[in-house]
Amino acid sequence: MPYFEYDNSPYAIRDDIKIAHRTYWARLARAGSWWTGQERVAIAMEVRNARQCDFCRERKQALSPYTMTGNHQRTTDLPEAAVDAVHRVVTDQVRITRGYVENNIDAGLSEEAYVELVGVVVMLISIDEFNRGLGLPPEPLPDPVAGEPDHYRPPRLVRDTGFVPMLPRDGAEGNESDLWSGTRTANVMRALTLVPDALRDWMMLASAQYLSLEGMGNFVKQEGRAIDRMQMELIAGRVSSVNECFY
Amino acid sequence: MLRVSSETTERNCDLNMVNGVSGEVSDIEFGVELMHFAGSLAESLADGDEEALDLARKELQQVAGSDVLVDAAGVAGNFQRMVRIADAMGIPVDSMDNEMSNEIRKDLNLYRFHTAENSAAQE
Repeated sequence: MPYFEYDNSPYAIRDDIKIAHRTYWARLARAGSWWTGQERVAIAMEVRNARQCDFCRERKQALSPYTMTGNHQRTTDLPEAAVDAVHRVVTDQVRITRGYVENNIDAGLSEEAYVELVGVVVMLISIDEFNRGLGLPPEPLPDPVAGEPDHYRPPRLVRDTGFVPMLPRDGAEGNESDLWSGTRTANVMRALTLVPDALRDWMMLASAQYLSLEGMGNFVKQEGRAIDRMQMELIAGRVSSVNECFY
Repeated sequence: MLRVSSETTERNCDLNMVNGVSGEVSDIEFGVELMHFAGSLAESLADGDEEALDLARKELQQVAGSDVLVDAAGVAGNFQRMVRIADAMGIPVDSMDNEMSNEIRKDLNLYRFHTAENSAAQE
Protein backbone atom coordinates (compact mmCIF):
# COMPACT_ATOMS: atom_id res chain seq x y z
CA MET A 1 0.00 0.00 0.00
CA PRO A 2 1.40 3.40 -0.90
CA TYR A 3 1.72 5.60 2.16
CA PHE A 4 1.60 9.36 2.56
CA GLU A 5 0.03 10.17 -0.78
CA TYR A 6 -1.81 13.05 0.92
CA ASP A 7 -4.46 12.82 -1.81
CA ASN A 8 -7.17 14.03 0.55
CA SER A 9 -5.18 16.93 1.89
CA PRO A 10 -6.67 20.35 1.12
CA TYR A 11 -3.12 21.67 1.17
CA ALA A 12 -0.27 20.82 -1.19
CA ILE A 13 2.37 18.88 0.73
CA ARG A 14 5.99 19.33 -0.34
CA ASP A 15 7.47 16.27 -2.04
CA ASP A 16 10.46 16.12 0.30
CA ILE A 17 8.11 15.80 3.27
CA LYS A 18 6.19 12.97 1.59
CA ILE A 19 9.43 11.17 0.79
CA ALA A 20 10.75 11.56 4.33
CA HIS A 21 7.55 10.18 5.82
CA ARG A 22 7.49 7.23 3.43
CA THR A 23 11.14 6.52 4.08
CA TYR A 24 10.53 6.39 7.79
CA TRP A 25 7.47 4.14 7.45
CA ALA A 26 9.68 1.63 5.61
CA ARG A 27 12.31 1.92 8.36
CA LEU A 28 9.71 1.59 11.09
CA ALA A 29 8.43 -1.70 9.67
CA ARG A 30 11.86 -3.36 9.68
CA ALA A 31 13.85 -4.68 12.60
CA GLY A 32 16.03 -2.11 14.28
CA SER A 33 19.01 -2.71 16.52
CA TRP A 34 17.10 -3.89 19.59
CA TRP A 35 13.46 -4.40 18.52
CA THR A 36 11.86 -6.43 15.73
CA GLY A 37 9.72 -4.77 13.09
CA GLN A 38 6.63 -6.12 14.80
CA GLU A 39 7.72 -4.60 18.10
CA ARG A 40 8.59 -1.27 16.51
CA VAL A 41 5.15 -1.04 14.91
CA ALA A 42 3.66 -1.99 18.30
CA ILE A 43 5.60 0.90 19.88
CA ALA A 44 4.07 3.15 17.24
CA MET A 45 0.59 1.87 18.14
CA GLU A 46 1.20 2.67 21.79
CA VAL A 47 2.20 6.22 20.86
CA ARG A 48 -1.32 6.65 19.52
CA ASN A 49 -2.90 4.86 22.48
CA ALA A 50 -1.13 7.16 24.94
CA ARG A 51 -3.22 10.16 23.95
CA GLN A 52 -6.39 8.32 24.98
CA CYS A 53 -4.96 6.74 28.13
CA ASP A 54 -6.93 7.60 31.30
CA PHE A 55 -4.12 6.40 33.56
CA CYS A 56 -1.66 8.75 31.83
CA ARG A 57 -4.14 11.61 32.28
CA GLU A 58 -4.51 10.89 36.00
CA ARG A 59 -0.79 10.44 36.48
CA LYS A 60 -0.05 13.73 34.77
CA GLN A 61 -2.03 15.45 37.55
CA ALA A 62 -0.23 13.61 40.34
CA LEU A 63 2.38 15.45 42.37
CA SER A 64 4.82 12.65 41.64
CA PRO A 65 4.38 10.36 38.64
CA TYR A 66 6.31 7.61 40.42
CA THR A 67 3.91 6.99 43.29
CA MET A 68 0.86 6.05 41.23
CA THR A 69 0.00 2.56 40.10
CA GLY A 70 -2.52 1.68 37.45
CA ASN A 71 -3.05 0.20 34.03
CA HIS A 72 -2.36 1.90 30.74
CA GLN A 73 -4.89 1.69 27.94
CA ARG A 74 -2.92 -0.50 25.60
CA THR A 75 -3.56 -2.60 22.51
CA THR A 76 -0.24 -4.39 22.17
CA ASP A 77 1.57 -7.20 23.93
CA LEU A 78 4.72 -5.19 24.51
CA PRO A 79 6.30 -5.65 27.95
CA GLU A 80 4.76 -3.41 30.62
CA ALA A 81 7.97 -1.40 31.07
CA ALA A 82 8.00 -0.63 27.35
CA VAL A 83 4.36 0.44 27.29
CA ASP A 84 4.93 2.68 30.29
CA ALA A 85 8.00 4.24 28.69
CA VAL A 86 6.14 4.97 25.45
CA HIS A 87 3.19 6.54 27.26
CA ARG A 88 5.47 8.54 29.53
CA VAL A 89 7.51 10.00 26.67
CA VAL A 90 4.28 11.02 24.91
CA THR A 91 2.40 12.44 27.88
CA ASP A 92 4.79 13.34 30.73
CA GLN A 93 8.32 13.50 29.40
CA VAL A 94 9.43 16.38 31.61
CA ARG A 95 9.32 14.16 34.69
CA ILE A 96 11.48 11.34 33.34
CA THR A 97 14.46 10.89 35.64
CA ARG A 98 17.74 9.04 35.66
CA GLY A 99 16.28 6.78 38.35
CA TYR A 100 13.37 5.86 36.10
CA VAL A 101 15.67 4.88 33.25
CA GLU A 102 17.91 2.87 35.60
CA ASN A 103 14.94 1.09 37.19
CA ASN A 104 13.72 0.12 33.76
CA ILE A 105 16.85 -1.98 33.31
CA ASP A 106 15.76 -4.13 36.27
CA ALA A 107 12.30 -4.33 34.70
CA GLY A 108 13.82 -5.77 31.51
CA LEU A 109 14.05 -2.61 29.41
CA SER A 110 17.75 -2.16 28.64
CA GLU A 111 19.25 1.25 27.95
CA GLU A 112 19.73 0.27 24.32
CA ALA A 113 16.11 -0.83 23.96
CA TYR A 114 14.96 2.34 25.74
CA VAL A 115 16.89 4.57 23.36
CA GLU A 116 15.54 2.84 20.28
CA LEU A 117 12.03 2.96 21.76
CA VAL A 118 12.36 6.71 22.35
CA GLY A 119 13.65 7.08 18.81
CA VAL A 120 10.52 5.40 17.42
CA VAL A 121 8.21 7.36 19.73
CA VAL A 122 9.57 10.74 18.74
CA MET A 123 9.51 9.97 15.02
CA LEU A 124 5.88 8.93 15.30
CA ILE A 125 5.03 12.06 17.22
CA SER A 126 6.74 14.25 14.67
CA ILE A 127 4.91 12.71 11.72
CA ASP A 128 1.55 12.37 13.47
CA GLU A 129 1.74 15.92 14.75
CA PHE A 130 2.42 17.20 11.25
CA ASN A 131 -0.79 15.52 10.10
CA ARG A 132 -2.77 16.66 13.14
CA GLY A 133 -1.52 20.20 12.67
CA LEU A 134 -3.07 20.18 9.22
CA GLY A 135 -6.28 18.54 10.41
CA LEU A 136 -5.43 15.30 8.59
CA PRO A 137 -5.97 11.80 10.03
CA PRO A 138 -2.93 9.81 11.13
CA GLU A 139 -1.45 7.57 8.45
CA PRO A 140 -2.22 3.83 8.81
CA LEU A 141 0.79 2.07 10.30
CA PRO A 142 2.87 -0.18 8.05
CA ASP A 143 2.80 -3.95 8.14
CA PRO A 144 5.85 -5.26 10.01
CA VAL A 145 8.62 -6.93 8.03
CA ALA A 146 10.15 -10.13 9.41
CA GLY A 147 13.71 -9.96 10.66
CA GLU A 148 15.86 -9.88 13.75
CA PRO A 149 17.51 -6.89 15.47
CA ASP A 150 21.23 -6.55 14.72
CA HIS A 151 22.19 -5.62 18.34
CA TYR A 152 24.65 -3.05 17.02
CA ARG A 153 26.33 -0.99 19.73
CA PRO A 154 28.85 1.71 18.74
CA PRO A 155 32.33 0.99 20.13
CA ARG A 156 33.10 4.50 21.40
CA LEU A 157 30.41 5.21 23.96
CA VAL A 158 30.89 7.32 27.08
CA ARG A 159 28.73 8.01 30.09
CA ASP A 160 29.43 11.70 30.61
CA THR A 161 26.03 13.39 30.54
CA GLY A 162 22.34 12.57 30.38
CA PHE A 163 20.75 9.31 31.45
CA VAL A 164 22.35 6.88 28.97
CA PRO A 165 25.70 6.28 27.26
CA MET A 166 26.35 8.42 24.17
CA LEU A 167 29.05 8.95 21.60
CA PRO A 168 31.57 11.59 22.71
CA ARG A 169 31.85 14.78 20.70
CA ASP A 170 34.84 13.33 18.85
CA GLY A 171 33.17 9.95 18.45
CA ALA A 172 31.66 10.31 14.99
CA GLU A 173 34.13 7.98 13.29
CA GLY A 174 34.15 4.55 11.71
CA ASN A 175 30.59 3.34 11.22
CA GLU A 176 29.40 6.57 12.84
CA SER A 177 31.41 8.97 10.67
CA ASP A 178 28.25 10.11 8.87
CA LEU A 179 26.59 11.42 12.05
CA TRP A 180 28.45 14.71 12.30
CA SER A 181 31.68 16.28 11.21
CA GLY A 182 34.67 16.51 13.55
CA THR A 183 33.65 17.54 17.06
CA ARG A 184 30.97 20.00 15.96
CA THR A 185 27.82 18.61 17.50
CA ALA A 186 25.29 19.22 20.26
CA ASN A 187 23.92 17.14 23.12
CA VAL A 188 20.59 16.75 21.36
CA MET A 189 22.43 15.04 18.51
CA ARG A 190 24.47 12.88 20.85
CA ALA A 191 21.36 11.92 22.81
CA LEU A 192 20.27 8.90 20.76
CA THR A 193 23.69 7.73 19.59
CA LEU A 194 23.58 4.55 21.64
CA VAL A 195 21.42 3.51 18.66
CA PRO A 196 22.96 5.44 15.75
CA ASP A 197 20.11 4.65 13.35
CA ALA A 198 17.76 6.55 15.67
CA LEU A 199 19.81 9.69 15.08
CA ARG A 200 19.97 8.99 11.35
CA ASP A 201 16.18 8.76 11.28
CA TRP A 202 15.67 12.08 13.03
CA MET A 203 18.23 13.87 10.87
CA MET A 204 16.46 12.59 7.76
CA LEU A 205 13.06 13.77 8.97
CA ALA A 206 14.34 17.07 10.35
CA SER A 207 15.82 17.89 6.95
CA ALA A 208 12.31 17.87 5.50
CA GLN A 209 10.19 19.20 8.35
CA TYR A 210 12.71 21.73 9.70
CA LEU A 211 16.27 22.10 8.44
CA SER A 212 19.16 19.92 7.39
CA LEU A 213 22.37 20.11 9.44
CA GLU A 214 23.88 22.25 6.70
CA GLY A 215 20.78 24.45 6.64
CA MET A 216 21.10 25.14 10.36
CA GLY A 217 23.79 27.68 9.57
CA ASN A 218 21.40 29.74 7.47
CA PHE A 219 19.66 32.21 9.76
CA VAL A 220 17.79 33.99 6.99
CA LYS A 221 15.69 31.63 4.85
CA GLN A 222 16.21 28.26 3.23
CA GLU A 223 15.36 28.03 -0.44
CA GLY A 224 12.12 26.23 -1.17
CA ARG A 225 10.54 27.05 2.17
CA ALA A 226 7.51 29.27 2.73
CA ILE A 227 8.66 30.50 6.13
CA ASP A 228 11.94 32.16 7.09
CA ARG A 229 14.23 31.24 9.94
CA MET A 230 12.75 33.71 12.41
CA GLN A 231 9.31 32.27 11.80
CA MET A 232 10.70 28.74 12.22
CA GLU A 233 12.41 29.60 15.49
CA LEU A 234 9.30 31.31 16.85
CA ILE A 235 7.37 28.08 16.23
CA ALA A 236 10.19 26.01 17.72
CA GLY A 237 10.38 28.22 20.80
CA ARG A 238 6.64 28.26 21.36
CA VAL A 239 6.32 24.46 21.08
CA SER A 240 9.28 24.01 23.43
CA SER A 241 7.85 26.48 25.93
CA VAL A 242 4.46 24.77 26.07
CA ASN A 243 6.29 21.48 26.58
CA GLU A 244 8.30 23.10 29.41
CA CYS A 245 11.54 22.13 27.69
CA PHE A 246 14.56 23.85 29.23
CA TYR A 247 16.92 22.50 26.58
CA MET B 1 18.22 30.62 17.63
CA LEU B 2 15.39 33.15 17.45
CA ARG B 3 17.66 35.84 18.85
CA VAL B 4 20.48 34.95 16.44
CA SER B 5 18.12 34.96 13.48
CA SER B 6 16.70 38.30 14.59
CA GLU B 7 20.17 39.83 14.88
CA THR B 8 21.35 38.32 11.60
CA THR B 9 18.43 39.79 9.69
CA GLU B 10 18.36 43.02 11.74
CA ARG B 11 14.70 42.62 12.53
CA ASN B 12 12.94 43.15 15.83
CA CYS B 13 11.56 40.26 17.79
CA ASP B 14 9.95 40.11 21.20
CA LEU B 15 11.30 36.86 22.63
CA ASN B 16 8.35 36.69 25.02
CA MET B 17 6.32 35.44 22.08
CA VAL B 18 7.71 31.98 22.84
CA ASN B 19 5.82 32.22 26.12
CA GLY B 20 2.63 33.06 24.26
CA VAL B 21 2.76 36.80 24.86
CA SER B 22 1.86 38.72 21.71
CA GLY B 23 4.87 40.79 20.74
CA GLU B 24 4.21 44.51 20.56
CA VAL B 25 7.44 45.11 18.70
CA SER B 26 8.05 42.27 16.34
CA ASP B 27 8.96 42.08 12.67
CA ILE B 28 8.00 38.44 12.30
CA GLU B 29 5.49 38.16 9.51
CA PHE B 30 2.34 36.37 10.70
CA GLY B 31 4.07 36.13 14.08
CA VAL B 32 0.93 36.18 16.20
CA GLU B 33 -0.82 33.59 14.05
CA LEU B 34 2.26 31.34 14.00
CA MET B 35 2.54 31.66 17.77
CA HIS B 36 -1.11 30.69 18.23
CA PHE B 37 -0.83 27.75 15.86
CA ALA B 38 2.34 26.35 17.44
CA GLY B 39 1.00 26.85 20.94
CA SER B 40 -2.35 25.26 20.27
CA LEU B 41 -0.76 22.25 18.56
CA ALA B 42 1.49 21.59 21.55
CA GLU B 43 -1.22 22.30 24.13
CA SER B 44 -3.85 20.18 22.42
CA LEU B 45 -1.63 17.10 22.43
CA ALA B 46 -1.92 17.28 26.21
CA ASP B 47 -5.40 18.69 26.79
CA GLY B 48 -7.20 17.42 23.68
CA ASP B 49 -8.57 20.85 22.77
CA GLU B 50 -8.82 20.23 19.03
CA GLU B 51 -11.19 23.18 18.60
CA ALA B 52 -8.48 25.62 19.60
CA LEU B 53 -6.14 23.98 17.10
CA ASP B 54 -8.79 24.12 14.35
CA LEU B 55 -9.26 27.82 15.02
CA ALA B 56 -5.54 28.56 15.02
CA ARG B 57 -5.09 26.58 11.80
CA LYS B 58 -7.85 28.51 10.03
CA GLU B 59 -6.52 31.82 11.33
CA LEU B 60 -3.01 31.09 10.03
CA GLN B 61 -4.19 29.71 6.70
CA GLN B 62 -6.40 32.75 6.11
CA VAL B 63 -3.70 35.34 6.67
CA ALA B 64 -0.63 33.47 5.44
CA GLY B 65 -1.83 30.82 2.99
CA SER B 66 -1.47 27.08 2.70
CA ASP B 67 2.26 26.89 2.04
CA VAL B 68 3.05 28.74 5.26
CA LEU B 69 0.62 26.51 7.16
CA VAL B 70 2.24 23.33 5.82
CA ASP B 71 5.75 24.50 6.66
CA ALA B 72 4.61 25.65 10.09
CA ALA B 73 3.09 22.22 10.77
CA GLY B 74 6.37 20.63 9.75
CA VAL B 75 8.44 22.72 12.15
CA ALA B 76 5.94 22.35 14.99
CA GLY B 77 5.88 18.56 14.53
CA ASN B 78 9.65 18.53 14.48
CA PHE B 79 9.88 20.27 17.83
CA GLN B 80 7.22 18.10 19.43
CA ARG B 81 9.92 15.49 18.81
CA MET B 82 13.00 17.43 19.86
CA VAL B 83 11.71 18.35 23.30
CA ARG B 84 10.97 14.70 24.01
CA ILE B 85 14.43 13.56 22.93
CA ALA B 86 16.01 16.12 25.26
CA ASP B 87 13.85 15.24 28.25
CA ALA B 88 13.75 11.46 27.78
CA MET B 89 17.55 11.39 27.59
CA GLY B 90 18.12 13.98 30.33
CA ILE B 91 20.61 16.01 28.36
CA PRO B 92 21.83 19.39 29.61
CA VAL B 93 21.97 22.47 27.42
CA ASP B 94 25.27 22.90 25.60
CA SER B 95 25.94 26.47 26.64
CA MET B 96 25.38 27.01 30.35
CA ASP B 97 28.46 29.27 30.39
CA ASN B 98 27.19 31.46 27.54
CA GLU B 99 26.20 34.82 28.99
CA MET B 100 23.71 35.75 26.27
CA SER B 101 21.94 32.39 26.46
CA ASN B 102 21.72 32.60 30.24
CA GLU B 103 20.26 36.09 30.06
CA ILE B 104 17.59 34.89 27.66
CA ARG B 105 16.74 31.96 29.94
CA LYS B 106 16.37 34.32 32.87
CA ASP B 107 14.34 36.85 30.90
CA LEU B 108 11.97 34.14 29.73
CA ASN B 109 11.86 32.56 33.18
CA LEU B 110 12.85 29.17 31.80
CA TYR B 111 14.30 28.10 35.14
CA ARG B 112 10.72 27.42 36.24
CA PHE B 113 10.79 24.28 34.12
CA HIS B 114 11.36 20.99 35.89
CA THR B 115 13.91 19.89 33.28
CA ALA B 116 16.22 22.79 34.16
CA GLU B 117 17.51 20.34 36.77
CA ASN B 118 19.13 18.28 34.01
CA SER B 119 21.34 21.24 33.13
CA ALA B 120 21.89 22.45 36.69
CA ALA B 121 23.23 19.01 37.57
CA GLN B 122 26.01 19.49 35.03
CA GLU B 123 27.25 22.85 36.32
